[in-house]
Amino acid sequence: MAEINGLGHSMKRKEDPRFLQGKGNYIDDIKLPGMLWLGIVRSPYAHARIKNIDTSKAAKIPGVAGFVTGKDLEKYNLHWMPTLMGDTQMVLPVDTVKYQAQEVVAVIATDRYAVADGVAAVEVEYEPLPVVVDPYKALEPGATKVRDDKQSNHIWHWGAGDEAATAQAFEAAATVVKEHIYIPRIHVASIETCGCLANWDPINKHLDMYMTTQAPHAIRTVLALVAGHVGLSEENIRVISPDIGGGFGGKVPVYPGYVIAVAASVLLGKPVKWIEDRSENLQADSFARDYHIDAELAADKDGRITAMRMKTLADHGYSDSQAAPSKFPAGLFSIATGSYDFQKAFVEVDAAYTNKPPGGVAYRCSFRVTEAVHAMERLVDIMAHERGEDPAAFRMKNFIRPEQFPYHSALGWEYDSGNYHAALQKAMDMIGYADLLKEQTEKRARGEFMGIGISSFTEIVGAGPSSQFDIIGIKMFDSAEIRIHPTGKAIARFGTKSQGQGHETTYAQIIAEELGIPAEHIKVEEGDTDTAPYGLGTYASRSTPTAGAAASMAARKIREKARKIAAHLLEAAEEDLVWDTNKFYVKGSPDKAKTIQEIAFAAYTNHPQGMEAGLEAVNYYDPPNLTFPFGSYICVVDIDRGTGQVKVRRFVAVDDCGTRINPMIVEGQIHGGLNMGFAPAMMEEMQYDEHGNITGGTFMDYLLPTAVESPRWELGETTTPSPHHPIGAKGVGESATVGAPPAFANAVVDALWHLGVRHVDIPITAPKVYDLLKKHGAALEE
Amino acid sequence: MQLSGTVNIKAPRQKVWNFLTDPNQVAPCAPGVEAVEVVEPGRKFRAIAAIGFGSVKARFNGDGEFVELEAPDRAKIKAHGNAPGSAADVMSEMFLSDGPDGTTEMRWTADIVVVGQLASLAARMMAPVSQKLAEQFFAAAKKKIEN
Repeated sequence: MAEINGLGHSMKRKEDPRFLQGKGNYIDDIKLPGMLWLGIVRSPYAHARIKNIDTSKAAKIPGVAGFVTGKDLEKYNLHWMPTLMGDTQMVLPVDTVKYQAQEVVAVIATDRYAVADGVAAVEVEYEPLPVVVDPYKALEPGATKVRDDKQSNHIWHWGAGDEAATAQAFEAAATVVKEHIYIPRIHVASIETCGCLANWDPINKHLDMYMTTQAPHAIRTVLALVAGHVGLSEENIRVISPDIGGGFGGKVPVYPGYVIAVAASVLLGKPVKWIEDRSENLQADSFARDYHIDAELAADKDGRITAMRMKTLADHGYSDSQAAPSKFPAGLFSIATGSYDFQKAFVEVDAAYTNKPPGGVAYRCSFRVTEAVHAMERLVDIMAHERGEDPAAFRMKNFIRPEQFPYHSALGWEYDSGNYHAALQKAMDMIGYADLLKEQTEKRARGEFMGIGISSFTEIVGAGPSSQFDIIGIKMFDSAEIRIHPTGKAIARFGTKSQGQGHETTYAQIIAEELGIPAEHIKVEEGDTDTAPYGLGTYASRSTPTAGAAASMAARKIREKARKIAAHLLEAAEEDLVWDTNKFYVKGSPDKAKTIQEIAFAAYTNHPQGMEAGLEAVNYYDPPNLTFPFGSYICVVDIDRGTGQVKVRRFVAVDDCGTRINPMIVEGQIHGGLNMGFAPAMMEEMQYDEHGNITGGTFMDYLLPTAVESPRWELGETTTPSPHHPIGAKGVGESATVGAPPAFANAVVDALWHLGVRHVDIPITAPKVYDLLKKHGAALEE
Repeated sequence: MQLSGTVNIKAPRQKVWNFLTDPNQVAPCAPGVEAVEVVEPGRKFRAIAAIGFGSVKARFNGDGEFVELEAPDRAKIKAHGNAPGSAADVMSEMFLSDGPDGTTEMRWTADIVVVGQLASLAARMMAPVSQKLAEQFFAAAKKKIEN
């Protein structure tokens, strides 16, 4: 008998045999007879008028089959598309381009070589226009307007909290600290770029759309809404999201390439494939972050935080095409009060247009939480240092206490559960905090710079309660459908879509826990809108809080029907049956039992008169609240005074994500997340020059950590279940990416605070640190 | 990107002037120039040039124009070139003056704007490589004029 492998078992991932043997089925593995290739001519200018497009030379290249321009799409009113945030975005431009690498003309050819030659041969004449790169300058009076169809470069203003009461608290404060913090533009840089294969069948008016999407159902509905007038009807659209090589939020948006591929397939009546190359992916796909934050924190004479205030400018590029819930233009930035107990806060965000690619996405971060956490954790550290208090003790003093949960934050959230003191204490114990402080003092006396940085973050994931969360009006529930086969095996389908998180394993384990069917006997399917129940997809750490909960609830429905069948088989009353792991037995007679497998067989062969045959259920789960995972990270760095190099000596990460379904997968998620927190903290930044050229358009210039740069991670855990989730689980995919960056930044500033350094913006590169050392007369020079 | 330099050429100013304002003479000195065509004598010309920044290479189709000519003291050239996915604009000025011993001092400046793929892929190499290319050009021109 196979092991059940329910909750808490580190069973090996069911998907790994195919991934590890190169047998995954990714978008570029899919080939259809007669398939054409689509390539995109992109703008070299960040802002320019298109004077002429000449395809005559390209048309002569053998294999080139056709072109699609903005003017072609304009005939069908498909040259633009709506964004999720109520803005508009060009599919292909009719007259002006608004950022470098914007799509200008699509070339279709019989193979990838011909399409590349065709793209290179298209001649476009431009008239350059003034470029707006700096969002602060974009908002100055008289600034060049990025969008001709808008009043100004100001997109929206959003705020939360009590401005007047917060101002009062600041006036009454004993200590106030302020800092300007920039969270730079970064890119998700998933291994697999974006792509699709659109196959329009003109006879049956049916579209098969294979694409790299984290939200297949939402895409299907958007396609039906946007292109209904040209014959795309939702029952005839099948979106298939095959294996995905990393999403991290970057595969939530609808990119023009997808839409052009559909248009090309409809126009030519043939399957059309579009696969981005690496530079296109980095240069044109939705970015993350790009928040300029003026942050302030107030404390009373005893060092208790009394108030927080943040004024933020968000650079959205030329269109607000964020992938965020409709009602949250600044995402969940209002989690910014973090893990601390105070009731006066005010945060506001203004968004600006610039001549940069549009976005942004929640890069492994549930909608602007990373930005909020970074600003708050930096502020807390500055306050502790400013007051001469130990940053750990300062946090312990100000944390929300365990008995205060459910906790109502100043900015309106109800935190479900938490035990922040326990997590930080565990991290301190693991790293030997007291000894490190001693070592630091000794080293400083010798002129060696060592820093200890803490980050005690609170995440907010699992969108979400449908009362608040929707995407283009569709409520953010999620779904599970389970069918038990006669032999006691099962298939389960979900509205979410794994991009490598291990859903095929963890969802099976949830069902295994509820029904006692071994996880290896439960096949999990996602990503085909013709078969999976409707759902909003996987991003923002929402899969376990929503679809994971749906799996539990659907399984429990099945168990209730199984009870009736067991009662029939055991000739006992339903209320006399006791459920134990994988079977019902008669109370007091454990040997009179029917296993789930026996019950499943009976559901098709011997079910009670009057009962429907079969054993299956579906659940659309609308969570009553979000979940609030948390953790405390401690980082130790040594700084080389001769080079500015920051060496991460140790990094302890204590995470609390409630119940752990598969501890090994959780650890894997945290390892990956920590690396994706380390990268922007120390290496990554999308930079633009004054002409709007992106200067990080390849992996030569856009730095990702390899195994060489990556620190060694030491993990710990505490477990504080979510009180409202059926199995007590919270999301975990993003905690580490959200929580890690301030630990690095705080460690570096801690190492240099005695020199007068109060803040350093991420990424903390060696040249940046060396300049700081020089500025404060502490650099070692030859 | 702003570049500048000074070259001393052992030739009289008029000779230097005549050489440097003749596209057919100048073109062979420029690294990567594959073809040149005078469109309007003494004023407009067209050229094809292959330029590489490290492993990033592009073939530009360009138009050049002498927008200001003050013989034999000052010339201003405006040029625009296109390559697949990239474009470049150059505004260059040269100033000639008499140097010691019958030589000519040439001071030059160039304001170069590169946009697109080339700028993205080769951002950090662009300035040093451009400076080197310019120096190669003037060294070649100097050699030809002096011979």
